[in-house]
Amino acid sequence: MIEFRGVSKTYQGSDSPVVNDLSFEIPEGEICVLVGPSGCGKTTTMRMVNRLIEPTEGEILIGGEANTAMSGTQLRRRIGYAIQQIGLFPHRTIAENIATVPSLLGWEKQRTAERVDELLELVGLSSDDYRDRYPAELSGGQQQRVGVARAMAADPPIMLMDEPFGAVDPITRERLQDEFLGIQQNIKKTIVFVTHDIDEAIKMGDKIAILKQGGFLAQYDTPENILSNPDSEFVASFVGNDRILKRLSLLRVGDMDLDPVNGGAEGLPRINERLTVRDALSELIGSGSTTGVVEKDGKKRLLTMEAIEELSRAGNASRE
Amino acid sequence: MSSLALLLQDLSSIEDPRLVEWDWISENFWEDIVPAIQGHIYLSFVSVAIALAISLPTGVLVSRYRKAYPPVTFVTGLLYSIPSLALFGILISIPGITIGPTPVIIALVAYSLLILIRNTVAGLDAVPAETIDAARGMGLTSSQILFKVELPLALPVIVAGIRIATVTIIGIATIGAYIAGGGLGKMIFDGINRGFPTMIITGAVLATALAIVADLLLLALERYLRPWARRRRT
Repeated sequence: MIEFRGVSKTYQGSDSPVVNDLSFEIPEGEICVLVGPSGCGKTTTMRMVNRLIEPTEGEILIGGEANTAMSGTQLRRRIGYAIQQIGLFPHRTIAENIATVPSLLGWEKQRTAERVDELLELVGLSSDDYRDRYPAELSGGQQQRVGVARAMAADPPIMLMDEPFGAVDPITRERLQDEFLGIQQNIKKTIVFVTHDIDEAIKMGDKIAILKQGGFLAQYDTPENILSNPDSEFVASFVGNDRILKRLSLLRVGDMDLDPVNGGAEGLPRINERLTVRDALSELIGSGSTTGVVEKDGKKRLLTMEAIEELSRAGNASRE
Repeated sequence: MSSLALLLQDLSSIEDPRLVEWDWISENFWEDIVPAIQGHIYLSFVSVAIALAISLPTGVLVSRYRKAYPPVTFVTGLLYSIPSLALFGILISIPGITIGPTPVIIALVAYSLLILIRNTVAGLDAVPAETIDAARGMGLTSSQILFKVELPLALPVIVAGIRIATVTIIGIATIGAYIAGGGLGKMIFDGINRGFPTMIITGAVLATALAIVADLLLLALERYLRPWARRRRT
């Protein structure tokens, strides 16, 4: 668990703080996304967790203990770190890059080598093909995979990720996001994730902290609650006018409570149960029908516009 | 100017028109030529080594404390622009410094500083900021970042500087014979004094060959130090 207690940061030679009296908690095993417009202090906030930046006021507790209890370098070796520009060491092979923190911690060669191979496979790169290459021989997407693998190398309980999928095209980004969420289901790290993209925040976050100019915490809540109950004008406009649709994109048709079909369903459009409700709505509108048929567990069920509307009005829809 | 006139006069007074007497070369090979080559290598190598020992730490410091860079460049640039013969003259006029290899080495070191410091700083500057940030974020200490990340990445540029400095030094070292520095320059001066072109040409050809060989060896080293750049994504 990470706890911010009245954390402020004012840079030298400036009289206005970039981070202003932040207090919030990130529960263990969750992804907390820091999101906001540029200049909102989200990266500064993240970098204060591993003390790349020291706060001017307040403190940050990790597992109940102040993060100043040990030296900055000791602390950083226990916290994964991945950034948008990746920052792979160009003069080191992929294996050596991933082994950076394990070798700082003095792991045995055999253990390190096994861990490197395991991580390469985990992020979808064949270890035999990539282990001995140099970063310049990899595509941008492959380099970002290596960057994430390197951050996870010593199995740190906490990871800091600053737009870790920012340097690739949208299609690759979506794949990397999905893969990472898949990995996170198993590893359950406590993750501080920085992005400027609200869609990425909604997709990746268990919790979202929306920051605004001057480093104020505008709202801290689950994506569902932020979308259904934005606290302020600022949050509402930041999440966008399509927030109802965004919320529907958090749910899958298969998870909806739908009535069974009572005959007469011929001619109705078929909707895949894996679709998000938002995509299903789009299909319904496209087919010109107000109802569709969803097949789930061998049973046919009816998806209606009314059901979707009801869902969009519900205050507290639960996530999958 | 007068020395050049004298040289021309000496050369024109040569009676034997054969420029290279191979007999002289074979007769004096082990006695004169090899020691001259060794002496020249010694002068150049020691000078580059000392210059490097000064320039590397200076370059690292200057790249950290940027304000010091302009004055350092100014001073070393000034040294670099002093004519070599004048610098030798100035050095031997300092009490405590007698003619011989010492003032020559001091001068050669002085000439190398500008190139070596500038390339060290340029090499360190070229290390990507995000690479250093990632290193810091993973818990490398400042000295680990310097020795494991910054210097290895800057090394090819530093070695490129060593190449230029070495070639320059091997050339200037020949003039050092004027103040009894020894090396191949002595052979050239002796040849001029005796009006014996074989010695002049042998000395000149060997000094040139030495510079070329040193350049090629360092070029190979530069390539070797950058295995990551040899392979690129296809």
